[in-house]
Amino acid sequence: MIEKKVVVLNRAGLHTRPAASIVKLASKFKSEIYLVRDKFSINGKSIIGVMTLAAEQGSEILVRASGSDENEAIEEIVKLFEAGFGEL
Amino acid sequence: MDFSQLEIMSHKSILVETLINSPAKLIPLTGNLGMSNSITNKNLHRPQLALAGFVELFNHNQVQIIGNTEYSYLKSLSKQQRIRSTSNLAKFDVPCVIITNNNPIFPEFIEVAEEHNIPVFTTHYDTTKAFYLLSEFLDDQFSSHVVIHGSFVDVYGVGMLFVGRSGIGKSEISLDLIERGHRLVADDVVMFTKKRETVLMGTGTSLAQHFMEVRGLGIIDIRQMFGIRAIRFQKRLEVIVELEDWQQNEEYTRTGLDETFADLMGVEISSIKLPIFPGKNITVIAEVIAINYLLRTYGYNAAKVFSGKLQDAIKNRTAGPQVNYQDRRLISYFQGDNE
Repeated sequence: MIEKKVVVLNRAGLHTRPAASIVKLASKFKSEIYLVRDKFSINGKSIIGVMTLAAEQGSEILVRASGSDENEAIEEIVKLFEAGFGEL
Repeated sequence: MDFSQLEIMSHKSILVETLINSPAKLIPLTGNLGMSNSITNKNLHRPQLALAGFVELFNHNQVQIIGNTEYSYLKSLSKQQRIRSTSNLAKFDVPCVIITNNNPIFPEFIEVAEEHNIPVFTTHYDTTKAFYLLSEFLDDQFSSHVVIHGSFVDVYGVGMLFVGRSGIGKSEISLDLIERGHRLVADDVVMFTKKRETVLMGTGTSLAQHFMEVRGLGIIDIRQMFGIRAIRFQKRLEVIVELEDWQQNEEYTRTGLDETFADLMGVEISSIKLPIFPGKNITVIAEVIAINYLLRTYGYNAAKVFSGKLQDAIKNRTAGPQVNYQDRRLISYFQGDNE
């Protein structure tokens, strides 16, 4: 299991479209992917889950992956966060 | 299913002002004073001996309840003695004091409390009821919570949680159950709260409510689609159904004689591992699991009954080959095609 901290960079926060892009990306991997905010941990492959985080700009999220492709999964998801979901 | 890795959320302390929301109907006698004091202990304390001056082992960090005993004691004292007695209590770091029975508390008591930044509340409930109401409330405030990725449905009154890998069809099973008249508690994000150490209560989040994602369809709102009878806000967790892809070499329960349990925050919950393959009607099986759980709760265990009948049959079988096949039928003599 590996985990990495990311920050929501785009101004609108983790609204529906970014949430959908995270879920789409996460679903490509075999690994289990969890996003954790203040101990509130949700499945990264569930759109309802990711939306429930209600993460605003600046909020810190821990991305956690475990499985055969955990390294690639973390890398790509972190990249998506760092790019501000293409909204920067 | 292993739930030991889940993040457990709980409050280490709460603010005194939170108590205003408790069902004990507290009215503050000291205005906004000390509302931001923190309560770090969920237990309540009656400061009888502390008022009398014996303060060893005094649980000062708990909410202090002034019941009839304490009130009568204070009443029996002179004003000077009352101030000293109240100070015995107030010199400690007490989060707040609650007067029960709406007893008319003495002005000097309030003064001493105010000096030490201790808020005083009053309630019209008697001590026993106030204790009960506040304990329940504080137990909930300090309770542990976990968030589980699954689908939680009330099936014939049995709180049933479906877990399993993403995309295995948890939401679809729930949808099917709702269609058959069962009630959704939450889908995808279910929060469980430990109550009184033995019970887990599940609910959705205030944001997601009864929204659900169906693959290929998107987000739907169960409450709008199926109405109020298709949902509920909370339910006790009773059975966990773990869905998994059928594997040739995995062993699945065949008799049901031994009940298996999963440990969730230290509470044992009946758990069933259910293999999935095309053509299998999981919804019907889920209903049967619920009914079977109810039967067991009410004292009937089909696996045990069948097993008992088998043992009797083996015991009563006389030695040697049995040739009268007619005796093995449920009906010993066919009279015709009648009942």
